[in-house]
Formats: sequence, C-alpha cells, structure tokens
Amino acid sequence: MAVAATFLAGAGSRLLPPSIPFRFFGAAVTFHVVAWLAAMAGAGQVPAFAGGLGWPLAALHAVTLGVLAMTAIGASLQLFPVATRRPIAHAGLAAAVFWTYVPGVAAVVVGMGLPSPALLGVGAVAVALALVVFVVLFALNLSGAKGMPLVVAHGAVAAVSLAATLATALAVVAAYTLGAPVDRATMVALHLALAGYGFMGMLALGLSYVLVPMFALAESPPAHRAWASFALATGALALSVPAALGVLPGVLGVAAAGFGAVAAILHVQLMRETLSRGLRRELGIGFRLARIAWGALVASLVLALLLALDVPWPRLPTLFGATLIAGWLLSFVLGILQRIVPFLASMHAARGKHRPPTPSSLTAEQPLRAHFRLHVAALALLAAGILAGNGSLVLAATAAGTVGALAYAGFFATAVRRMTASIIDAGRLNR
Amino acid sequence: MSAASRRWVAADGAHLDVRGLKPPEPMVAILSMIDGGAEKTAFTVHLERDPVFLYPELAERGWIATPVAADPGEVRLRLERAR
Repeated sequence: MAVAATFLAGAGSRLLPPSIPFRFFGAAVTFHVVAWLAAMAGAGQVPAFAGGLGWPLAALHAVTLGVLAMTAIGASLQLFPVATRRPIAHAGLAAAVFWTYVPGVAAVVVGMGLPSPALLGVGAVAVALALVVFVVLFALNLSGAKGMPLVVAHGAVAAVSLAATLATALAVVAAYTLGAPVDRATMVALHLALAGYGFMGMLALGLSYVLVPMFALAESPPAHRAWASFALATGALALSVPAALGVLPGVLGVAAAGFGAVAAILHVQLMRETLSRGLRRELGIGFRLARIAWGALVASLVLALLLALDVPWPRLPTLFGATLIAGWLLSFVLGILQRIVPFLASMHAARGKHRPPTPSSLTAEQPLRAHFRLHVAALALLAAGILAGNGSLVLAATAAGTVGALAYAGFFATAVRRMTASIIDAGRLNR
Repeated sequence: MSAASRRWVAADGAHLDVRGLKPPEPMVAILSMIDGGAEKTAFTVHLERDPVFLYPELAERGWIATPVAADPGEVRLRLERAR
C-alpha cells in the first residue's frame, strides 16, 4: 500500500485521472503524423511559403495547434496544479476542452489544406471556445498559486499571450471566411510572435525551470538570472507588439529580437548549467532533442533579427518559421514529452501496488532512437530544402518526418499499453 | 545537496527534513541521500507536501515509500530499499 496509499491520500487532488492528460498526449502524437503528411501534400510550396491557405499552412497548424498546444494543455492541466499546490478544479471541464478542441483542430487543418473557408471557420470557433475555457482554468489555477513564482509568472505571460493569439487568429479567420476588412499581414505578424514566443515559448521556458532540474536531478537555477531571462523575454514580447502594428517597426523589431535573443541565451545557459550539475549523467534521447531545440531557439531569434533588419532574402521568413516551430518548439515538446509520458504512466500505474512499475520499464527506447534520427534528418532536409528552394528536399524531409512520427506514436502506444496493463493487473490483485 | 535541508539520527534511524526547499530540491536532496550511499536501507523524510514526482524515481532505484504519522501540515515518509 506504501506508494499507492501516499498517492491517493495526498496527491489525488493534484493528479488528474490518467485518461485526461494521456488523451491530450495521444492526440498530439496523432497530429504529429498528420502534420508531416500535410507538409508532404504541400512539399512543393513549402520553400516559398509565406502564408495563405493550402497544405503548408495546414501542416503548420497541425503542429502548432495539434501537437504543441495539445501537449501544452495536457501537460499544464497535470503539472501546474502540482507546481502551484492548487487542487484541480473542474476536471470535467478539462475533458470538455478535449472534445471541443480536437475536432476543432481537425477541421482547421482540413479547412486550411483543401482549402475550405467554411470548414476553417467552424473549426476556428471550436478551437477558440476550447482555448478560452482552457485559459480560464489555467488562470484560475495560477491566481491561487502557493509557490513557484517564476513558473507562475511565465504561465501568466503565456496565458495573456494565448488570449491575444486567439484574438489575432479569429481576426485572420474572419478575413478568410467573411471577408472582414482586416490587415492580414499585421495580424499574422502579431499572431506568430504571440503564439510562438508568447504562449508556447513562455510556457516552455517556465516549465523548464521545474522539469529540467527534476529530470536532471539538479538544484534549481539561480533565481536572479532566471528572473532576468524572464524580464528580457517579456520585454521582447511587449516590444514585438507595437513593432508588428507598424510603430517604429525597424527600431522596435530589432530591439525585440535582441532582447529575445539575450533572454534565450541566458535561459539556455541556465539549462546547460543545470544539466551539468545534475546527479543524473545519462539524460537520454529526450534531452538530446532538447539541446537541439535550444540551439534552434537562439537561431530563430537571430533570424528574427535579420527579418527586423529587412535583410533582402525572399525565403528568410520561411526559414525563420521552420526554425521557430519545427526546430525549437516541436523538438523541445517531443523531447520533454518522451520523458513525461513514462514518468506520469509510472505514477498512475502505481495505484494499488506495493512496488510500482518503473518509468524505464514503461518506455520503449528503440522507437525513440529511430524517431530521433529521423526527426534530425527531417529538420536538416527541411532547412536545406528551404535554403535551396528545392521542393524535392522538402518532400524527403516530410517522408523522414512521417516515419519518425510513426515511430514516436509506437513509443507512446507502448507506454500506454504497459501502463494500462499494470493498472488492470493492480485492479485484479485488489479485488 | 541543498544547504537548507536538515539531517539527524533518532532512535528509529536517520531523518531528513526538506521542508522549506523549493521544488525540485526536496527530491534532489532525498535522491542524493540514496544515490550517494549515505543511507543504504531506510530513512525518514519530512516534507511540506506529497512528493508526487519522487515516487517514479524511488521505484527506479528499488526503494519504496510508506506514509507515517506526522504533525499537521507535514508529510512524513519512511523510505526503504525494497527487499
């Protein structure tokens, strides 16, 4: 009864039923495959992609909404209550978010790909409804936080950014579906900064201050340097808004990219120091992906700086988008998710067991190794395809990405199957 | 190990108090004690809250946790190497 009893007595209120986070993670793993397939369908248009409906935009949103935000919602619903020491309220609403959000994302992706503005509009409304509920749940949890001010501060900026991202997204969708008189270029610039660096970026940076020391078994990074990174990142976001709206775009855009780059370098340095001080020397493939992601984060801000300086290269925005979304955020999320899944699975499989299954017994290393190689190959081919303006290289990237995503799905299915078998087994023993 | 954790030996064996540390430092302090070999069979830890993320790490090391009576507002666990 030892571990299980402790769980159920003390942590029950802070742990969701496994079906809630795992359904978000399962959907994210599925949309990961969909994203690469959508990119494959539009491979020829990817090197010159600069917005507009079609399969490249569908692939982009299959990643951002389907993989990144999906994982962020599942992880936030589970991890923030533990971090903030606030019990989970409204677990039913969390499930409702899922059942509204997943069909909404599917409709958005298909609506963008075909393209079908009507389907896109319906999907966007469902996604917006689900995200509004999520933001409210998230804000309620943060508002009563009893600890971890740094994580809470990052979460608060992420929540505000998500709300603003939604507003810009709905404005752009209204332009597509209703012909609303919206300055699409301005809204898209705002949308990209707020979604990529604001919502997902701040959430990733904030949760890293808990997850990275936890997985590395290291003390937290020095708070004053972490706060400095947070202040610079928040300042960069704040500057990017007027820059996107056309207020001194050159000056403020350069300042935003510069502040963001310094914040990112500071954060990455803190993470590297944390890893080097950790008790755990073998951090696994997940952290190899995270290291690639951190490199891409800094690279994306250098590219943002070049964009702000109006460097005349037509494929620069595409390379920037790919570096930000696939290089930084996707690599990071997939790296951390492969550590979280067996960890959470072990916690849930512990119920009713004297000796719970270990995280390592619930994971599947072989598919993760295959995914790592294929993901890195896909990123390299994608960058080469954009740089060379070559659709065939992008097609090869999407083939590698798709097979890699299937391998990742194999890892996830194995972890869930082993967790479920363990829970059923414990149920039999307790009967 | 964090300087803020307290360690002492009582009649029932070694104790480690990690209250007041911010996450994930309590977990790091506890696992440092196990991994460093300071306690090879069993010890008691005093925490502010249920260490939900500690359990998979204990399982990975072949240790188990048993809740024991504690003061209000405290979580106390007896950690033992599984036989």
